Amino acid sequence: MKLKMLAIAGGLLAATALSTAGAKADVKIGLLGGVSGPIAAMAPAMIDAAQLAISQVNDQGGILDGETLVGVVGDSACNPQGGTDAATKAVNIEGVTAIVGPHCSGAVLAAAGSVTVPAGVTMVTPSGTSPEITGLDDNGMVFRTVPSDDYQGRALARTLREQGYEKVAVAYINNDYGTGLANAFKGEFEAQGGQIAGFAAHEDGKASYRSNLADLSSGGADTLVIFDYGDGTGLTILRQALENGFFERFVGGDGMKSDAVINELGTENLADYFASSPVGEASNALDTFNAAFTAVGGDPDAIFVTTSYDAAFMLALAIEKAGGDKAKVAESLREISNGEGEAILPGEWAKAKKLIDEGKAIDYKGAAGDHNFDVNGDVPGTFALFEVGAEGYEVVTNMK
Amino acid sequence: MDFLELVNFYIIPGLVIGSIYALGAVGITLVFAILRYAHLAHGDLATLGAFLALAVVTGFGISPLAALPIAILGTAAVAVGIDKVFYEHLRERPKIVTVMASLGIALMVRAVVQVIWGVDSESYVKGIVRPDVYFGLRIRDREIYTVIAMIALVGVLQVFLTQSKWGKAMRAMSDNPNLALLSGIDNKKVVMLTWIIAGGLCAAAGVFLGINTELKSMMGWNMLLPMFAAAILGGVGRVEGAVLGGLIVGVAEELSVLVLPSEYKAATAFAILLFMLLVRPTGLLRGKVL
Amino acid sequence: MELYGLLNYALFMGVFIGIYALLALGLNIQWGFAGLFNAGIAGFFAVGAYTSAILTSAAAEGRIGGFELPVIVGWFGAMGAAALIAWPIGKICLRFRSDYLAIATIGIAEIIRLVIKSEAELTNSARGITGLPRPFGDLDYMASQAAYLGIVLVVLAIAYVLVERQFNAPWGRMMRAIRDNEDAARAMGKNIEYRRLEAFIFGAALMGLGGALFAHFNRSITPEAIDPMVATFLVWIMLILGGSGNNRGAILGAAVVWIIWSVSEIATDQLPHEYAVKAKYIRLFLIGLLLQLVLRFRPEGILPEPLRGDLRHTKEGNRS
Repeated sequence: MKLKMLAIAGGLLAATALSTAGAKADVKIGLLGGVSGPIAAMAPAMIDAAQLAISQVNDQGGILDGETLVGVVGDSACNPQGGTDAATKAVNIEGVTAIVGPHCSGAVLAAAGSVTVPAGVTMVTPSGTSPEITGLDDNGMVFRTVPSDDYQGRALARTLREQGYEKVAVAYINNDYGTGLANAFKGEFEAQGGQIAGFAAHEDGKASYRSNLADLSSGGADTLVIFDYGDGTGLTILRQALENGFFERFVGGDGMKSDAVINELGTENLADYFASSPVGEASNALDTFNAAFTAVGGDPDAIFVTTSYDAAFMLALAIEKAGGDKAKVAESLREISNGEGEAILPGEWAKAKKLIDEGKAIDYKGAAGDHNFDVNGDVPGTFALFEVGAEGYEVVTNMK
Repeated sequence: MDFLELVNFYIIPGLVIGSIYALGAVGITLVFAILRYAHLAHGDLATLGAFLALAVVTGFGISPLAALPIAILGTAAVAVGIDKVFYEHLRERPKIVTVMASLGIALMVRAVVQVIWGVDSESYVKGIVRPDVYFGLRIRDREIYTVIAMIALVGVLQVFLTQSKWGKAMRAMSDNPNLALLSGIDNKKVVMLTWIIAGGLCAAAGVFLGINTELKSMMGWNMLLPMFAAAILGGVGRVEGAVLGGLIVGVAEELSVLVLPSEYKAATAFAILLFMLLVRPTGLLRGKVL
Repeated sequence: MELYGLLNYALFMGVFIGIYALLALGLNIQWGFAGLFNAGIAGFFAVGAYTSAILTSAAAEGRIGGFELPVIVGWFGAMGAAALIAWPIGKICLRFRSDYLAIATIGIAEIIRLVIKSEAELTNSARGITGLPRPFGDLDYMASQAAYLGIVLVVLAIAYVLVERQFNAPWGRMMRAIRDNEDAARAMGKNIEYRRLEAFIFGAALMGLGGALFAHFNRSITPEAIDPMVATFLVWIMLILGGSGNNRGAILGAAVVWIIWSVSEIATDQLPHEYAVKAKYIRLFLIGLLLQLVLRFRPEGILPEPLRGDLRHTKEGNRS
């Protein structure tokens, strides 16, 4: 009787699994994200942004021969176990043509190594920043719309030096994202003649970081550079630093350019707070995305939403270009954004589809950059430094 | 570094965090001593309590401290309900089965919080509060509330355990269950009381963590291991031991930054715990050896 | 959905079940037969995975490595390293009884995780080690998965046969005697501390091997894999649900729990489109609920420990 109940429960699960054999007419892309696990707070907005790209495609006539583009959400749980599991299901059960994600580098590396590269499915991660992804032996199947940590860390260091920052302390989260940014920043900042007067990693999820802050400030720096997530531990650190009067100025990486910081701490407290973030060279691309995402109730200042949107939109363009052929998506992905052809801004699906059908070259100018992939599938990235104004984040200067 | 700096930036934050750990650790130590298993859903119950208070704060516009009693009652009720529905049937089974069940409960409670309240960081009151300075000591009012509330709650509990009939029954169950049952103590009532107390203290831990930092859906799970360390450090079954253990873990974590690379902060609690188990396995205050 | 996809998914699940079954077998030696409450599986898993990664990967700047040894050497190295780490831990911690040992091992696993995450010279810190060789990795997708599954199954079968033989040998009887009545076993002149340490080290070696198999399957290992939820608690659920003290139960538990874990996502994906993200939380809720149901109706596990000898006539030994 007890075993029977188990058998029935298992049978039900299997039955629902089998019933997923969806209509073949749909074109599917997998949206794998760390929905559960340590970045649970960031994942929903990123997935919503990718879904926005998908709904724009469908609103403007659909993909290929008017087929519907469907985003299949999978939970990569921010670990390799979850990442490979979600990728296997997306590739084999859902039959996706390409994948946006996973979100965390560890999941990207594992999913690429055991699932997507062998299966020949193109993968674009919007947030896997680890330099290890650059050197991955991936047959050119793994891309990312987020610049590797190296670029941003160094660009931020140069910009801060230009702005006259002499002596800074660095607090970074102890994961691939924080470590990569912090080390790149440190190297360049010192090379440019600046001084790092405090450099410490911290674990995620502790309740107090005041001792860390006291320790960092003991080096005499007046500026704290934070490489962390603005709706996670980074928020706690910034709050405790402001409340206790450690440091005079604060600078964050793109993870810190989060609306959670403004919502929770208040604009009036953030006069001396700056954050860098990747932006497109065509600056109206970002505005176009912001307006569209706000219109569907999204928050354009959430972390990695622009890169997620670009990843999904570019994959849709590439699938269109490849005629729906899984094997050609990677090649097409390079073709739709190589700096040559008519510029396509976020949301301009109908225009792009028409040009592709006519066989003309297009060049996607994304919300988070132009995304002209290099040979490793990386994007160099262009960045801007933002401050907090009355309307949210406003550009202070472009970073080189 | 001068003495004031040490107190302001290491000792005071440590005591505040320690008080929060202590509130959770007291519940853990009671469940450990009376029901005799490690309850792994404790952290997520604290998350639930914190978010219940958030619902009250946003719904009625009252301060989080005023919402605290409601959160305590709500979480206590949930804890009793979980025990009735899920743990009660496993009472006669090997304890490891209940430990696994509590792990499943942790997943379920967290899922409920994530579905109802979402996964964004929340706070009870927006903006920041700068500390007041008393004789060179920098203290925020909420930190004073946290420590005072912890002492008050544990004090009331201690009086209850030592003075009231049911409190004595609980202690008897903890000391010698067979003898307690023989002398006619109603096991069911004792178990229910234990869950009311553990659930309520859990909620308090969650609310005060939320008051001092932010509310996140993983906040309780992240706090689980330090709370266990505190309970064992103090001696299983010893309420005042759990408080002492919590404070030690909190202060030690903050102080560790001075001697260890800061990425090892989270390991401090365990290092202390291992050392403690080696030199004095009964805990600081001679608790049980299970 | 085509048959090809289903088959690939099944192969993938088979590999994961095999790896988790190794972890569960290791835990069964420790808990099921010696009564040692090891809650630090993730630590031994990680030591095994990283040891094999360092031994077999190409040289990289900033960390030790570049040995490029054959994979099989890496796997034996993984077992050796996990056993070597387990030895001092066991020496120190096995004197603690059940729940204390659990907390101590959780703590040690966390410390191992932090060391792996922070020491760049050893493990490339948070970025992890990539580019690991995968046996038969050059074949096409399905063939390479099938080949790897074959390897995992052979390893699992060898481990199963060895462990099972050991349990039915006098050694197994002695271990059960120690577990069920320590004082009596001591009175019989058995060296309890030494025997416990032996079981702890054997179990840890199997966990290390599981970690190595996992790392090479993914061609990479990162600290994110040492999450206590998926690398420790999930294995415990598998063993308890499958039936502790029973090797076949441990393997069956790994299969049942991983299938629930993985397939539940497909089930919750049936929810309407706008709940796509919420469905993932509901999935975890369902996993928790299923666990409750199984524990409620099969608390001794799907395959209970076989009653041996005189125990057939008495009630099951009461363990806590």
